[in-house]
Amino acid sequence: MLDTILFNLIWVLPLLTVALCVPISRTQTKIIKRIHLASAGVILADSIYLVYRVFGLAMAEGIPQGNKPTLQFLTDFNWLSSINAHYIVGADALSILMVFLTAIIVFTGMLASWKIDHQEKDFFALIQILGASVYGVFMSFDLVLFFVFYEMEALCMYLMIAGWGTGNKDYSGKKLTLTLALGSAMVLATIFGIYIEGGIHSWDITKLADVHLSETFQMWAFPLAFMGFAVSGSLFPFHFWSPDGHSSAPTAVSMLAAGVMMKMGPYGCIRVAIYLMPEAARFWLPYIAYLVLFNVVVAGFIAIRHKDLKYITAYSSISHLGLIFLGLAAATPLAFRGAALQMLSHGFLTGLFFASIGMIYSRTHTRNINEMGGLMKVMPFLGVCFVIAGFAGLGLPGFSGFVAEATIFIGSFQNESTLIRMITILGILSITVTAIYILQTANRMLHGPVTHAHFKVLTDADPIEKTALVLITACLVGVGLFPGWISAFLDTSIVPIFANFMR
Amino acid sequence: MNNFLIPDILLLALPFVVIGSHFLFPKRHTVPFAVGCIGFLGVFVMLNLLVLGETQTFLSNWKIDSFGVFMREVLILAALLGIWFSKDYFEHDADGKEQLHQLPEFIAAISVATFGGVTVVSACDLLTLFLGLELATIPMYALAAWNKSDPGGSEAGTKYILMGSVATAFELFGFSYLYGFSGSMKLAEIATAVTQNGTSPLLWISVLFLICGIGFKLTLFPFHTWAPDVYEGAPTPVTAVLAVTSKAVAITFLVILVFGPFASIHTQLIPFLSILAAVTILAGNLGALKQSRLRRFMAYSSISQAGYILLAILGPEIVAKSAIVYYLVVYTFANYLAFFVFGIIGQHRTEGFDSLRGLSKENPTLAIALTIAAFSLAGIPPLAGFIGKFMLFESAAEAKTYGLIAFAVLNNVIALYYYIQLIKGAWVDPPDENLPRLEVNKRQKFAVVVLTIGVLFVGVVPFLSENIRNILAM
Repeated sequence: MLDTILFNLIWVLPLLTVALCVPISRTQTKIIKRIHLASAGVILADSIYLVYRVFGLAMAEGIPQGNKPTLQFLTDFNWLSSINAHYIVGADALSILMVFLTAIIVFTGMLASWKIDHQEKDFFALIQILGASVYGVFMSFDLVLFFVFYEMEALCMYLMIAGWGTGNKDYSGKKLTLTLALGSAMVLATIFGIYIEGGIHSWDITKLADVHLSETFQMWAFPLAFMGFAVSGSLFPFHFWSPDGHSSAPTAVSMLAAGVMMKMGPYGCIRVAIYLMPEAARFWLPYIAYLVLFNVVVAGFIAIRHKDLKYITAYSSISHLGLIFLGLAAATPLAFRGAALQMLSHGFLTGLFFASIGMIYSRTHTRNINEMGGLMKVMPFLGVCFVIAGFAGLGLPGFSGFVAEATIFIGSFQNESTLIRMITILGILSITVTAIYILQTANRMLHGPVTHAHFKVLTDADPIEKTALVLITACLVGVGLFPGWISAFLDTSIVPIFANFMR
Repeated sequence: MNNFLIPDILLLALPFVVIGSHFLFPKRHTVPFAVGCIGFLGVFVMLNLLVLGETQTFLSNWKIDSFGVFMREVLILAALLGIWFSKDYFEHDADGKEQLHQLPEFIAAISVATFGGVTVVSACDLLTLFLGLELATIPMYALAAWNKSDPGGSEAGTKYILMGSVATAFELFGFSYLYGFSGSMKLAEIATAVTQNGTSPLLWISVLFLICGIGFKLTLFPFHTWAPDVYEGAPTPVTAVLAVTSKAVAITFLVILVFGPFASIHTQLIPFLSILAAVTILAGNLGALKQSRLRRFMAYSSISQAGYILLAILGPEIVAKSAIVYYLVVYTFANYLAFFVFGIIGQHRTEGFDSLRGLSKENPTLAIALTIAAFSLAGIPPLAGFIGKFMLFESAAEAKTYGLIAFAVLNNVIALYYYIQLIKGAWVDPPDENLPRLEVNKRQKFAVVVLTIGVLFVGVVPFLSENIRNILAM
């Protein structure tokens, strides 16, 4: 019972914190920031405890038989009875790990944006609302609730990018928000179909999994839903929002967007599209593999040509997200597990990437790698963090990236179709491209002589920033060094999804 | 139980009481205002005390069912907000126009229009229906031209009366065919005639003319072109009343017809209504994209909202009615919230997007209120507008018109774009030093706070939607 309350508190607490801060004067920024950080810290601790609890419970029960994941802390009551919407939240391995990832990114994001200089009250409130909506997406098992949280986040994004971003912020913010809104519109159109065609007057995802939706309906609904979700996962051809969005966003928002929000796409694909419409999924997934080609192969080459650090990272995210979709398209249990691992791993690594870039940018005031040089001498700590993120991204053993990518590649190769195997091989080769742009960037930016005299007086990370970076790095290494338990844990929620997929 | 009639009688008496109170206290402006507010509030409370469930019929042409009571509540809420909003325009200049005069008559006109809406929803025969519609429309003509010193207002009034008369002619023509087809003025008897002979060309000509006629009033494409001009020319409070009350009356009229006499040909009407809804949404959205003046912008936005509301009529009766009632409540809240913010801004500034610059720094509460209003109109969760649109779409989904729903939700993206323009003005654009300071009086502050809370919580708290659906399903 207590655990259930703690679990529900994860998305409620951020909103309560915002409400608590409403009466505090706008000038008391220190107090406001501390209250928000404390609440994010409590949520982080809470989520760690819950991961521990779910792990204990799920592993004791073993891998569930049948097509339903065992949901811990299941809370189910009538919410809007006029549309039969229930408030259903619960945790299985995948969702609780994603919640944990979000908690880490929100907490470190707040640390990383400690120094924003105007309207702190609004900014931190928006981070909390954004956090609440992302938690909600990963926790909810009711389509209406899921969608409510899913669409909430894009709007906070716009306000934050346009209000606190850099560069062409209004354009980028609109591009991001409207593209994401397009995605959610596609999703919304299909969930109405699922509700009506399902015929059981329920939006409950686990109940709908038992319903065999008519194939004619699935055939058009699945691509619509999958692509709708894939918009936020920046799958080609809906990847265009991501480079502009990330580059204009303030650090915390880039971290949240790339680290967590882009994972909501593949999460929705696996939890809703593939899970509820397996017959059409089996038909369509090979075609989606063609789209993955762009993400996996081309995005890396684009990243090589870019000079702006955030653009490089954004394209690197696109290519890593492509690997998640490769895992989904390959559709073997191992590939699914790899995709889930990659969601987690990429969350940490891209969080580290954007955090260190944001901190470097706040000092050098340029993100053009040609204008930087020798930064390793000036700010060794930030430099090392950037290099760690880069190496984790290109799959160096010992970091989470290796575990995830290796699982995806092995899993995808188990698929017998030649197409998937070809793409897998191309994906493996694309790691070389990743290595090229990571090493080239690190080399130009960090090594060589210090190019500008005013760079020499810049300071390294302060304790607050160090805390943030160390925390993410620890997670990155943690998953990389102990992949066994996390894979076994993830299987408890991946296997039922796969079972329903093969029904 | 005769107490069902008491609210109606009170509402009918209200305009006379308001004007009477003005005669008693000719010097004091607040008296008629207070009487008006208390009157609407009293009627609203009384309507809430009624025990709903059965249909009551009075004098063979006046019926009060649950839907009727809900629509009364919506209309009275809208009227209350309307006079609350308009009070300021009688105290000082606004929007670069002179202040308005004759508040008592203004309030009386609004209550007569509201009573017209009540008549529409209570009608049992064509004559009452027509009477109600005209009673709701004619005061609007006067209201649109209320500002005698403003030529734009007179132009708006003239345009509106011309367009409105054409629409009335269409309706009367439709009614006459309907009478000729069925041989009766009673809606129930017409319904029987329609069931027996649903394919008669006479009937379909009448349907066509009726929908064209109501298309004018509901601003459906291609009959929407008058709306932006009239909305822009009329005084701002009248624009708000037009956007809410007259739309609510028009949609009620359509609901009464489609689920009354035309119930048996509802499925055949679906393609027709689908196309109308789709093109209206698109036309409204495309029109709103490039607007720079707030009221013209709101006009196009309300055109597309009308299209969304029309979606609900495709569904089965109870789902459709509850979706419409709920959405109208939500739309009233969000629309008036936006208008209150515009009203505060328009007091000293020109009416345009540029006047919103730097709002978040100057007055964060207003900026948040505007953001919430815009997001609610755009249908963004978890605000009330989302749940409202969700119910509209659900109603349409019951008719399995998935393609139309997909089209409508994709159009939501366009709508989001122009609502974001509002928010961009308030949050992103740098403050302009030359803009006069904003002043917010207590009345405005109260309304803004109450409406903001309403829009935030009416959606996620199940109370309203649940009650509407359950009572209508009884």
